[in-house]
Amino acid sequence: MMTEPEVRPAGPELERDHLKRAVECVLLVGGGPVTPDQLKDTLGVPVELVHEVLLDLVAEYRDRGLQIQALAGGYQLCTRPEFSEYVQRFLRLDQREPLSQAALETLAIVAYRQPVTRAEIEAVRGVRCEHVLERLLDRHLIRDLGRKQALGRPILYGTTEGFLRHFGLRDLDALPPLRGNDPRSAFGTPASQDGEDTQV
Amino acid sequence: MAGYTVRLPQFEGSLDLLLSLAQQGQVDLREIPLGQIAEEYLAASRAHFDLDEATEVLWALAAMIEMKSRLLVPKPEVIEEPLIVDGEPSDLQERLEEQAQEYRTFKEVSLALRALEDYQKKVFARPKEGDSGEVILEGVTIDDLFRSFQQVLERAREHVGEVAAEEIKVADRMDAILSLLGVSPQGVEFPNLFSPAAGLLEVIVTFLALLELIKQRRVSAQQPKPFATIRLVLVPA
Repeated sequence: MMTEPEVRPAGPELERDHLKRAVECVLLVGGGPVTPDQLKDTLGVPVELVHEVLLDLVAEYRDRGLQIQALAGGYQLCTRPEFSEYVQRFLRLDQREPLSQAALETLAIVAYRQPVTRAEIEAVRGVRCEHVLERLLDRHLIRDLGRKQALGRPILYGTTEGFLRHFGLRDLDALPPLRGNDPRSAFGTPASQDGEDTQV
Repeated sequence: MAGYTVRLPQFEGSLDLLLSLAQQGQVDLREIPLGQIAEEYLAASRAHFDLDEATEVLWALAAMIEMKSRLLVPKPEVIEEPLIVDGEPSDLQERLEEQAQEYRTFKEVSLALRALEDYQKKVFARPKEGDSGEVILEGVTIDDLFRSFQQVLERAREHVGEVAAEEIKVADRMDAILSLLGVSPQGVEFPNLFSPAAGLLEVIVTFLALLELIKQRRVSAQQPKPFATIRLVLVPA
């Protein structure tokens, strides 16, 4: 480690270094994801600079026990999964409960098809999803987005920020791609013209 | 079981047989007066009632009523799906296949999501200052809070009852259990912890006291086999 020089030479490099350390501090106390906008306001620098510094930091943390994750529209300083055993032992935490298969499948449909009604989800899964949806609502992984202007005005569901955090996603565009033609578009669009023949 | 016998001009035999013939399409239910069968069974069951038989009959009749109602309801005109142009073998089959395909797609992507979950559940961020670690307001909107607050206000307006002072204390019951077990080296069976004269409150408080003692590891509960009487023994200090 180098010793700090007594007199700091002014210059863009040094300023950037200073900024980088400041961002590091804010990420630490922020706990969860901190958005570039929040950093911009806190540090009083252009958001482009914030992005550059964040990219530097992400790279610098590559060999550390900690990492900087792009998550739910922000960046969070967090541990690496390889060390979860020690973290859990220290915090006396149990294994985090994974979602059941039914919950995961239902959540996948909500994620890719949102806004989506219960009937539309059930049409895909072929089974009733009432309870699964309730549990997902309880865990704040999905939320009520309003009502569909259709017969019976059914509730429309969509995913939450908690969903992005649960799966470590930057945003919904970071969802794993679906195979085949993308049913992320409107529900029930017939897979007509460019369906099977263009694939394969 | 022979089953209830039906005697109609159109059919004579057991109800079971009628049901299976109807299911195989060998009997046209539209010609079978199910209401008459039901009425005749009801009349017969007044003279002789057998619960098993009644259950069978009820089930068989219900199944046939459903089948018959399907036969009677006019079928909607089958609307040709626009995507089936050149006479596919069966559009139902096609739709089922499509639905299955769609479901498989989501099943596959849920594997990818599972992998992401596996990763993320091992990642820990620093809890915020003064945060118990649980983000309890996640996904809660101001509207939700306002609505909940209104409900609390509503409840507050309701009659507030008086809470009577606790006459039986958990601590007292704990002492009582300990002294009872102290004089019973063989232990005491669970029901004998409660005096026959004990009121509801005493029973509840005694049970809470027992749970507390077990939690403190001062009393152990033993059950030699499932459903056997539980025996409580003092844990040697």
